[in-house]
Parts: sequence; structure tokens; C-alpha cells
Amino acid sequence: MDNRLFINLKPGPTFLDRLTGKTKVRLFFVLILLLIATWDIRLIAPLFVLSIIGLVSIRPNPKKMTVTLVIILIMNLFNLLLMFLVEPDYGRGVVGGSNVIFRFTDFYIVTKETMWYFLVRLMKFMATFIFSLTFIQCITPSEMAAGLYSVKVPYKVCTIVSLAFRYIPDITRDFNNIRISMQARGLELDAKRVGIGTRLKQYVLILAPLVISSFDRVGMIANAMDLRGFGKLKKRTYYAEHEDVKGDRILAPIILLLLALFLVIVVCLIFFPPAFQVWCPWIK
Amino acid sequence: MMAEPIITFTDFSFRYKSQTEDTLRHIDLTIYKGEKVLILGPSGSGKSTLGNCINGLIPFSYEGEIKGSCIVAGLETRKASLFKLSSHVGTVQQDSDAQFIGLSVGEDIAFSLENNAVPRPEMLELVDRAAEIVDMSDHLAHVPYDLSGGQKQKVALGGVLHNDVQILLFDEPLAALDPTMGMTAVDLIDRIHREQDKTVIIIEHRLEDVLYRHVDRIILIDEGRIALDTTPDELLRSDVLKEMGIREPLYISALKNAGVDLSGVSSLEDVEHMDIEPLRDRIVSHFYENEPDLEKHVASGEVLVEVKDVSFDYGSSYHLNDMNFTIRKGEKISIIGKNGAGKSTMAKLLCGIIRPKKGEITFRGQNCIEMSIKEIGNHIGYVMQNPNQMIAKNIIRDEVELAMKLNGRSKEETDKNVEEALRMCDLYSMRNWPVSVLSYGQKKRVTIASILCLKPDILIVDEPTAGQDYRHYTEIMGFLEELNRDYGITILFITHDMHLAIEYTDRSIVFSEGNILADDYVFRVLSDSDIIKRANLKQTSLVTLADKTGLDPEKFIQAFIQEERRSRANG
Amino acid sequence: MSEKKSVGSLILGKWNTKTIVGIAIGAALFAVLMNYGGIKIFTNTSLTTAMIVDVIVGALFGPLPAALTAFLGNFLADLIGGWGFWFDWSIGNAVLGFFVGLIPVYARKFDEGVFGVKEIIIYAITVIVGNIVAFGAVTPLLTYLFYSQELTITWGQATAALIGNASVQLVLGIPLLLFLASRNKKSSNLAKED
Ligand SMILES: Nc1ncnc2c1ncn2[C@@H]1O[C@H](COP(=O)(O)OP(=O)(O)OP(=O)(O)O)[C@@H](O)[C@H]1O
Ligand SMILES: Nc1ncnc2c1ncn2[C@@H]1O[C@H](COP(=O)(O)OP(=O)(O)OP(=O)(O)O)[C@@H](O)[C@H]1O
Ligand SMILES: [Mg+2]
Ligand SMILES: [Mg+2]
Repeated sequence: MDNRLFINLKPGPTFLDRLTGKTKVRLFFVLILLLIATWDIRLIAPLFVLSIIGLVSIRPNPKKMTVTLVIILIMNLFNLLLMFLVEPDYGRGVVGGSNVIFRFTDFYIVTKETMWYFLVRLMKFMATFIFSLTFIQCITPSEMAAGLYSVKVPYKVCTIVSLAFRYIPDITRDFNNIRISMQARGLELDAKRVGIGTRLKQYVLILAPLVISSFDRVGMIANAMDLRGFGKLKKRTYYAEHEDVKGDRILAPIILLLLALFLVIVVCLIFFPPAFQVWCPWIK
Repeated sequence: MMAEPIITFTDFSFRYKSQTEDTLRHIDLTIYKGEKVLILGPSGSGKSTLGNCINGLIPFSYEGEIKGSCIVAGLETRKASLFKLSSHVGTVQQDSDAQFIGLSVGEDIAFSLENNAVPRPEMLELVDRAAEIVDMSDHLAHVPYDLSGGQKQKVALGGVLHNDVQILLFDEPLAALDPTMGMTAVDLIDRIHREQDKTVIIIEHRLEDVLYRHVDRIILIDEGRIALDTTPDELLRSDVLKEMGIREPLYISALKNAGVDLSGVSSLEDVEHMDIEPLRDRIVSHFYENEPDLEKHVASGEVLVEVKDVSFDYGSSYHLNDMNFTIRKGEKISIIGKNGAGKSTMAKLLCGIIRPKKGEITFRGQNCIEMSIKEIGNHIGYVMQNPNQMIAKNIIRDEVELAMKLNGRSKEETDKNVEEALRMCDLYSMRNWPVSVLSYGQKKRVTIASILCLKPDILIVDEPTAGQDYRHYTEIMGFLEELNRDYGITILFITHDMHLAIEYTDRSIVFSEGNILADDYVFRVLSDSDIIKRANLKQTSLVTLADKTGLDPEKFIQAFIQEERRSRANG
Repeated sequence: MSEKKSVGSLILGKWNTKTIVGIAIGAALFAVLMNYGGIKIFTNTSLTTAMIVDVIVGALFGPLPAALTAFLGNFLADLIGGWGFWFDWSIGNAVLGFFVGLIPVYARKFDEGVFGVKEIIIYAITVIVGNIVAFGAVTPLLTYLFYSQELTITWGQATAALIGNASVQLVLGIPLLLFLASRNKKSSNLAKED
């Protein structure tokens, strides 16, 4: 199978890998919710550290991981640079101060608060991203379906997720075959030889057969599912969802605590909105 | 023992909602508990429709009008729910890829249990049991992408064995399998039939392969009616198969060619065990009357392609090692070998889609490395197995001229070549038809025409006949043979079909694990039992017949081929 | 196939196993095209052809399945591409999917092969309106809420997506829909010519 894909089809051996889909999905959701809700570095920093521990603990392929992380870091830094170029004194609004460190021009000033905001933001985004990466790396599509089912997503939707994963490699292969056979018949996709307009229009020649041959199998797959009783009951069990291991039992109360923390944060934000979005040690 | 009926059709007719005429007409059929029944018939005769009436997809998923009654395991299918029926009838379909829904073997076998919300501990036990029956216990954690077609079929079978289903229905289970895997599948079905005491219904075009193990009854369907309901022996003795356009087993054709009187022969369905003694003289004397002229015609055309010490891998291990062979103008070559042997990889190398890691491929003396895919595409055309993956236009003519347009040829040349390609493929009179109204075989011809308009010297056709009935098979192969004979186009077939290799090609290149095992006359390759075994091929029944009669298999096959081709040439 | 269907039932679509599988295959196709089916414009920007998948699912199954396809397809593409989750974009794509997937509502005879000038114009309008609503309003709003990103930048990114998607859906979507429709057409009186 193509090794550019980031999905795992077989569970690995580490602590996180061995958890049930239920725990993986719940833990992931609650961590992401926390990260979306908070702008407080006292919570973000520990989560950031935790995300790195998590990622390292599943022993990912170091080369692939480094490349991905660097790309994301660059993307984020670029975004920050853009923000700076548009509004250098951004910190005044969200942090609540404007202590100038350096002045390029009257408009382009570097303030302590803006830098603080950028730091918090970068950490928050990197943590979100690393959690996602860890999550994808340690969960199989079937566990994901089972996990989503455990948080009350209707099982038909869960099935869509795992089915889609099931057919991604098949469709990738078809796509490559179709593209190549069109090239052998003379289709030119080289950006140096033909302009963007022509290439865009000619893409129909690849997409038409791809769409037809992909959707041709729908009827057959649906029959195979119907014949084995898909949709018969309101509920469903999962072969991939093994019994709880020790890790699941340890994490269950922790997930609850985190969820409670999230609710507290949201309630506080609603009823006692802070003067400034981002907490900062030197702003009272 | 056969007293108790399990499926009963009484004056049953069915019409699909979108059709104006009945697809099944006045079916009266009883199948008894524990029977093993084969359903045969030309394409479009209604076999799958009949199967879908048994398993309940009709009327659950296909709307239409039912007349008469169909009772399966005591349930009137029109009123019973699909789910209720599916606990009595297990269905295995043709496309082993499409019906593999799970992401691992275990999961796919468990799919129906999951839908029934069986608690997991119990589920594990049931999955283990089913996996053991189909002999996949060691593969429970495997993902579908690591499995061969045959293994996927086993999994599909395992997945419907739960709930003690009584009836197993197979709709073309062999279509995508190589010969040995086909044999294994037939064996497995037979074993389950005997050991688990199931009623088995098989729908299949590959009569000879199914008859590898005993079946009780054969039902022949034609235009939605039951045309014949008889035993295998009776059917083989008659001439109905030829009339219906169903392929006879090779040894039966050989016996009929020899003019043997089949009426007295016992166990005709089983070439291994049939009593040959009374027939021997007739066969032997016929053979000597037709003894092949052993003067072999050596291919002498101009050398087109030379493959020299070519190796290739997809990254990890070597998939092709030091391959060497030559292709000459006007040859008809079959590339055969088991699944994953590297046949399609070689085709891609020849077309320049991938390039050799070592060694070189030359075309008319020029190293292909110096040519682009597009340039090579002007000389070597590749026709993919599934025509739907090639067709990008609505109208036949547009599809056929696409390659000319993409290559920027002039208007006159395009018109000339397109007209010629259309005429060659017998599509000229349909040139303005939409592709969507064509049958599978006709679509295949469109894809061939769309490659032919570039006037390639070599045509590589991947699995030209997979999943088609004998009538379409003969049509396509006859057409390709014509291209070769009348236009001198060199043709390379990639195939699992031994009949195809025997009947339509002169030379076979046998691939096995990335090596060339043999490169010789077809009759020689197929009579060499060592090669057959190592390449996962199946010994043809002609060899068995020759052995039993004491004739030299190589010559026997050759004589058979000559006779068949002669009779084909005479119409 | 001539019974009248209410707009409501057309929007909901038929939710049988075929629809479930159709959405799944659509989402897989979306993810594959998002990852491999890019058409390069400059060195590191490309148009994605994935945007035509919701159009096709819409034509075959209706707007709601199209929306779900786009949402899940985007989610899967993020997963397998390994670039983190961007729910703001997934939801934007879902909204867009809903608009461009309205085909069965206005082209009632699509499954009989009818897709003429009138339908093409309506389709073009849904594409433009859908893109403006999705990437001009929904996504920037969500980006602001989830990630409190500077709006100017979000607008910039959204405008690029808007133009790119709309052009893919118009330039590729229309011929594909015509191709699909013509496959459904019942061809009567086909005569052989010489
Ligand atoms: N879903 C459907 N709707 C309308 N007509 C159909 C449908 N499925 C099959 N038919 C028609 O019914 C006839 C019988 O088809 P069926 O699939 O039963 O043939 P078959 O004997 O199984 O052929 P094959 O050997 O090619 O599988 C054909 O003419 C086909 O066009
Ligand atoms: N794109 C690819 N990437 C990696 N490995 C591949 C790729 N295509 C094929 N292979 C592997 O190369 C080997 C040879 O494959 P190939 O498709 O040539 O076999 P084949 O003889 O055509 O088989 P079949 O009869 O099943 O069509 C197989 O082990 C296959 O898994
Ligand atoms: Mg059939
Ligand atoms: Mg192959």
C-alpha cells in the first residue's frame, strides 16, 4: 500500500495503541475540546508537553514524523508572520497591553504582548496538531468507527467512515491506472508543456472514468452488506472493539475529569468573561 | 434422503420495474435439502436474477413485479424480510473485492455478527469456527490488500456460514481466480457441502472447473425459462451446450471430435474416473488420422521488442528478475502465471509506464529509455481489463479519436485512422451511438479501437475474457484473431485462462515469482506437468485424457488445437 | 419514475444501504483526489479536483449525502494527508456540498438523462452562491470562532479557495454532469448507419 498514507490498519504494540477505540476517541475529543476552549498557557503548556510525550510513546517513523512536523511548524510560523504584517499590535486587543520591544516603523512595532500571544497561539496549534497526529497513528479505522459509535454517533455514519477507509487504497490504485493509461494515449499533464487552462479541462478525461468505475461498485457493496444483515437492528457491536485493558480503566476517570474541566472553563467564559482573551503573567 | 424440498418455485415470474418484459418466466423448480445444483445459462438469461429471488434481494433491493410463489426454507420470499431470509441463505458474489467490507479478515467474517449485535466474546468464538471451516484461521489479522482473490473468496464464504445457514448460494465464485485457486475454491465448496450438510447452489460459466467436483444436478436457464434440468452426464452427452453458447469441457470436445459415441460412457463428468477402455481405439485412430504435422512454424517476422536482462522492483524485493525474451511481428503470445507473478508489471514496463531498474527494453533496436510514454504509446498499446476504466467520452467516435486528438495529429489522418479502426472493430455503423448502450463485450471493442487508431504494432490485452460468457468470449477472441491475421498486429494476451492460451495463441511465456519459467509453444508448455505445478496453472483435461489413452500429451494437445482451429476457420 | 416527489424528500434523499455506501465511496474518492488529484498552478499552490465529488454524489443521491460526503471526505483527506484537523474547512465544504448537491431538486429528470441549458445555469448559480456562503461566510466565521485567526488573512485564504473551487466545479463539473446524464439517457431509435 502507498506509504504516503498516514493511516494504520493494524494496531501497534504501545500503551496508546492497545487502548480500546472508545478510550482513544473520547480522550482525543476531550483534549481537542480543551485546546479549542482555552487560551491560558497554564493549561496549554502542560497539554503541549503531554502531546509530545504521547507522540513519542507510540514510536512513530522518525523521518516521516520530522518532515510532517517541520512542514506544519513552517505553516504556522508563516501564518503568524502574516498576522504580524496585517496587525503588528495584535496583542493590545487580546492580551491587554502594548510594551514595545522594538520599533521598525511607527506601524511595525514588536510588543511583548503580541509576542506572548504568538507563543501561546503557536503552542496551542502545535499541541492540537500533534494530538491529531498521535491519534491517527494509534487508531485503526475500525476502532475509530467503534469509538465514534461509543460517543453516540449513529452506527450508519460510523460505517461510512470505516468503509471509506476500506476503499481508499482501491480507489488510489484505480486513479493511478486511469491516469497512466490516459498518458499512454497521449494526455499531457506536464506543467511545463501545457497551460493551466488546458490541463484543467483535460482532467475530465481522467475523472470521468474514475467516477464511473468508482460508483459502479456501490450497488454490489450495498448488496453484500444487505445480505449480511446491515441495518437490521438499532444497535451494533464491533469485532475490533476489544475488552477494556488496564489503560482504559485508568483513563476512564481522567477523561471524565478533563470533561468536567472543559465544562468549567466554558461556564466561566460565558458567565465571567475575562477582560482579555489571553491570560498573561504581567497583565493584571 | 432427498425427500424434503427446501426451495420451491411455483409458476414464478419476475419483471424488473424498469423493464417491459418479464426477466424470469413461469419458473417451476424444486431444490431438495442437501443437493448440490449448478445453474448454467448464457449471459443475461436471468441466472443472477433467480439467485436474487432466492436470497431475498428481490424484492428487498430491486423493485419489480412478482407473480407466482417462491418458498425458501418455509418462507414465502415475497413476504419474508431480507434479514430473516439471510439467516437461512448465505450468498457469495462474484466480485471478491467489492464484498470484502471489513478492514481485516476477522472483521469481514464478523460483519453479519456485528449487525446482529452479538456480544464480542461470543463473536470471537463464532469467527474462529467459521475461519477454521474455510481454512483462514492463520490469516485473521490480514488486511484485504494482502490477500489473493482466492483467499478473499474464502473469507466471503466464511462470513455467511454463521447462524447455521442451510443454503449456500454462489454467483460466479470463480470469475476472478487463477486456475489453481479456482480448483481450491471448488474443493472447499465441495467439502463444506459434504461436511456441513448444506444445500449448495452454484451459478457459474466455467463448467469444466465446477465439474472438477461432483454436482448432483444442472439447471440450464435460457431467456428466463428453465430450458433443461438434468444430470451432468446427460448434459455433457447432449449437444445443448454448444447450442446455448456455453463452453464444453475440453476433453468432451476432444471426445466429440473423435466421433466417440458418448451414450454408454459412465461418469462422463469426471475425466479422471471415466471408463476410457471402450473408447480408446476410436480416440487413438482419430488421433493418427489427424496426426499433427510436426514441422513447427517458427515465428520469423521482424524483431519488434527485445527485453534484455530486465529487472524491476516496487521498492522492497525484486518483483522481476533478469527477464529475457523477444517479440516478433505477427506473433500471438500468451503471458500466463499465477496472481502476483508480475504479468501486469511486465506489461507496464513494455509500455514505458514504469522503467526497468536494470537491463533494457528495445523497440525496433531503439532503447525505450530514450522514448516518452507517449511515443511508446504510438507503437505499443495497452488495453486494460475493465473497459469502464478507459472510456472517457459519451460517443463511440469521440472515444476512438481521443488518442489522435491528444497526440495532435492532423484532421485528415485522424479521420482516416478512426474510420479504419472503427471498421476493423465492426463499430463503424454504430459510431454515433452513446457508449452507455453497449454491452460489456462491445465496450471492450471500443477500448481496443481507441488504441488501434494510433496504429500500434503491438497490442497488449490484459485479461480479455474475464467474467464473460462463452459467446462474448468467442466474439472478442475471434475479433482479436482477425486483427492478427488480417492486419499483422502482434498480440500479447495476459491471462489466467488456459482455454484461451490453447485455442488462440501459439507461444506462451510462463511467469512465476518474477522469473520466466518457460517460453515455448503452447502445447509444449501445457503438457509439462512440472511447469504447470510451479506456475499455479491447472493441468488441462486434455493431458489427463491423453495419459489415460496412452498418447503423447504434447502431440495430443497439438492435434486438438489444429483440429479446433481448422473447424473455426471453416466457420 | 414519474411520481412527484416533494422538495423535502428530495433534499433528504433516500437513506438506504446504497446511499451509505455511495457516501463512503464518495468520501474516499474525495480524499484520494485531495491528496493526489491536484492540478499545479504555481510551485506550491494547486487546484484540487476533489471538489467535483460532492457534485457527483449530489447528482446521484441528493444534497444531504453530498454535504456529508464533503465533510467526511475533507476529514479523511486531513487524516491521511497528516496535516491535522481543520473542522472549519470541513464544515465549509459540507455547506458547499449541500448547495452543489441540490441537482435532484431542480433537475428532476437527471436520472432519465435530462440536463439542459436551464439546469446548467441553475447549477452554475448554486456553485457560485454555495462557494460564497461556504467560504465567504461559514468558514471564516468558524475559523474566527475556533482559532480566533485574524480575519483579513482568513478572508484571503477563503477567497483563494472560493475562486479555485468554483472554477473546478464549473470547468470540470459541467462536462462530468453531462457525461453522467447522457449515460442515464434511454436511447430509443438508434439506427445503424453506413
Ligand atoms: N437491476 C436491474 N434492473 C433492470 N433490469 C435488470 C436488472 N438486473 C438485471 N436486469 C436484466 O435482467 C436480465 C437478466 O440479468 P441477470 O443479471 O439475471 O443475468 P445473468 O444470467 O446473471 O447474466 P450474467 O451471466 O451476465 O451474470 C438482463 O437482461 C438484465 O439486463
Ligand atoms: N504499484 C505497486 N506498488 C507496489 N507493489 C506492487 C505494485 N503493483 C504491483 N505490485 C506487486 O508486484 C507484484 C507483481 O504484481 P503484478 O500486478 O505484476 O502481478 P500479476 O502477475 O499481474 O498478477 P494478477 O494475475 O493478480 O493480475 C505483486 O506482488 C504486487 O503485489
Ligand atoms: Mg449474473
Ligand atoms: Mg495483473
